[in-house]
Amino acid sequence: MIGKLPAGARTVLLLIVLNAAIFALLAWASPHFATPRNLDNLMLRMSEMGMLAVGQTLVIVTGGLDLSVGAVMALAPVVASKLYGMGVPFWLAVAAGIGAGALVGLVNAVLIARFRMQPIIVTLATMTIVRSIVYGLLRGRTATDFPDPFLDLVDVRLAGIPGLFLAMLAVAVAGAVLLNLTPFGRALIATGANPAAAHLAGIRVQRVLMAVYVLSGVIAALAGLTSTIRVQAATADAGLYAPLEVITAVLIGGTLITGGRGSVAGALLGVLTLFLLVNGFTLMGLNPFLQQVVMGAILIAVIGQDRFRGFVMLRRRSQRPAQARGGGP
Amino acid sequence: MSAATALPRRSPAARLLAMREMPIIVFFLLVVAGFSLTVEGFWSLGTLNTVSRQIAVIGLLSIGMTLVILTRGIDLSVGAVMAFAISIAGMLGILGGWPIWAVYALMLALGLGLGLINGILVIHFDVHPIIITLGTMSIIRGGLMVITGGMFITPIPSGYLWIGSGYVPVAILLMALVFFQLVLWRSRFGRNLYAIGSNTEAAAASGVPVDRYRVWVYVISGGLAALAGMILVGRSGFVQPQVAFNGYELSAIAAVVIGGASIFGGSGSLVGTFFGAALLGVILAGMTMLGIDAYWQGAVQGALIVLALSLDYLRQRQSERALRQARGRAT
Repeated sequence: MIGKLPAGARTVLLLIVLNAAIFALLAWASPHFATPRNLDNLMLRMSEMGMLAVGQTLVIVTGGLDLSVGAVMALAPVVASKLYGMGVPFWLAVAAGIGAGALVGLVNAVLIARFRMQPIIVTLATMTIVRSIVYGLLRGRTATDFPDPFLDLVDVRLAGIPGLFLAMLAVAVAGAVLLNLTPFGRALIATGANPAAAHLAGIRVQRVLMAVYVLSGVIAALAGLTSTIRVQAATADAGLYAPLEVITAVLIGGTLITGGRGSVAGALLGVLTLFLLVNGFTLMGLNPFLQQVVMGAILIAVIGQDRFRGFVMLRRRSQRPAQARGGGP
Repeated sequence: MSAATALPRRSPAARLLAMREMPIIVFFLLVVAGFSLTVEGFWSLGTLNTVSRQIAVIGLLSIGMTLVILTRGIDLSVGAVMAFAISIAGMLGILGGWPIWAVYALMLALGLGLGLINGILVIHFDVHPIIITLGTMSIIRGGLMVITGGMFITPIPSGYLWIGSGYVPVAILLMALVFFQLVLWRSRFGRNLYAIGSNTEAAAASGVPVDRYRVWVYVISGGLAALAGMILVGRSGFVQPQVAFNGYELSAIAAVVIGGASIFGGSGSLVGTFFGAALLGVILAGMTMLGIDAYWQGAVQGALIVLALSLDYLRQRQSERALRQARGRAT
């Protein structure tokens, strides 16, 4: 019966079951897991990663990738903090921070959509530049110049659920609606599945791609502000491992790395899976660096079950048309 | 009119100027000249010494990276591989009192082995190597820190310092450059790397063992990372696992891209990469001497990458246009 469902729904169902299983396992293995405090902490931590996952799903669906999100996450709150410290009204400073994210997204967008450069390399370069700007702005310190009402948002609870988590859910719902129910979303999927066909079908591929990278930048900025509220400061190292984690989560969620198919719900469940694992690690006192090993292994494993080519050294490659593009986004 | 006569004949001087590496060589000379004029003490033997030792490490990493990028791949894990090779070999060998040659042999073996794993994973998964090597980078970094516990190894026996002292590093770099450039120019393997990068299908159809060669470039990259690590240890005087997090892989990629190699594969040379690495080293030294924050240097590196990529893209478009024009005239 399950086999009859579309692939996306099947993955989501599988992930729900998987997460429930991990949840049960952790609750049994550690007395500290199922406590309100731990669960609250878990939801807070998931908030920023969940937002990033939404943005990254949209980008990956078009067959691209945005590695700069982690750096933008760090940049936005730093920009806001510096401006606020110089006397700019806070709402304006925040807008400027989000604007900075949009600007980075725009740079990515122009280079990728207009100049047709490879998204991976472009966002790798912007990631480097933005991260260095962040280091340069902070000079080894952390930025704590934020008004108290802003930082106090971390304490907002609605029926026991952190406000930040609900904000993330709002972004997720908006993203899911955008992807699945709007013409823009369909354009994203079409672009990822077959850019040439999409172009012939009348989709303004350049505009669509530009929009999605700017959107990714804006969402990354929001995620950065969320992270700042959570840790009560803007650090230079914020989001350092975000690209790895969020891409892994999105791929776990059933979005194809080559684009053309994606699921926001799946991506969120992917985030949950990763965070449950991390939580489990911490509670059981395992080496945090082991987490990195597991993350990398999961990434390769997730790609593997989708794109494994078998032992092709023994046969000619000429029958794989995908190789004409170099096999990359 | 045939396509051959449609293309203009050029004088040797013009051909020299049109060389793919010319922009970077010119830029390099301009930057050196600029710094020499504006920074006190830049044009000195001391600077040459410092810069040459710095670029030796990145230069060796870039040689491997050039070969990988030529075949349309990329290797984000070289920094981690380098750190892993020196740290594990250091932990076992230096602390265990092994003879130096045994420790170096283990470093090399580890580098080659990790490169082999990277290569095999890359050809087995139909995904861009950047994602694969992102994964292996994480695994190697994490695994390294778990195994070593982040432990420094210092002091180290003076025998390890020779390779990092004076002009030895740059001599090793130059020897490696000459060797691999000859491989690229003269051997079937080298020439086929360009073929794989330009048109993988055609290369496969003409009998080139594409997958095997792709694995080889990753193995070579790993081996060179180990060599770079030896120099790093010799130069710094201690073994530090944390270098895995220092972003050496990005500097290597920057050197290759700035040196004129196309990120799409199929073109580029070690000469260009050398000048790319030299340029980065000179700019770094110049900025340090000018007292510019180390933090901004990464921004400059990223900006140079974007600049180089733009040039690459423009060159690509230009050659496509020229090809279309030549074809048009021929019909």
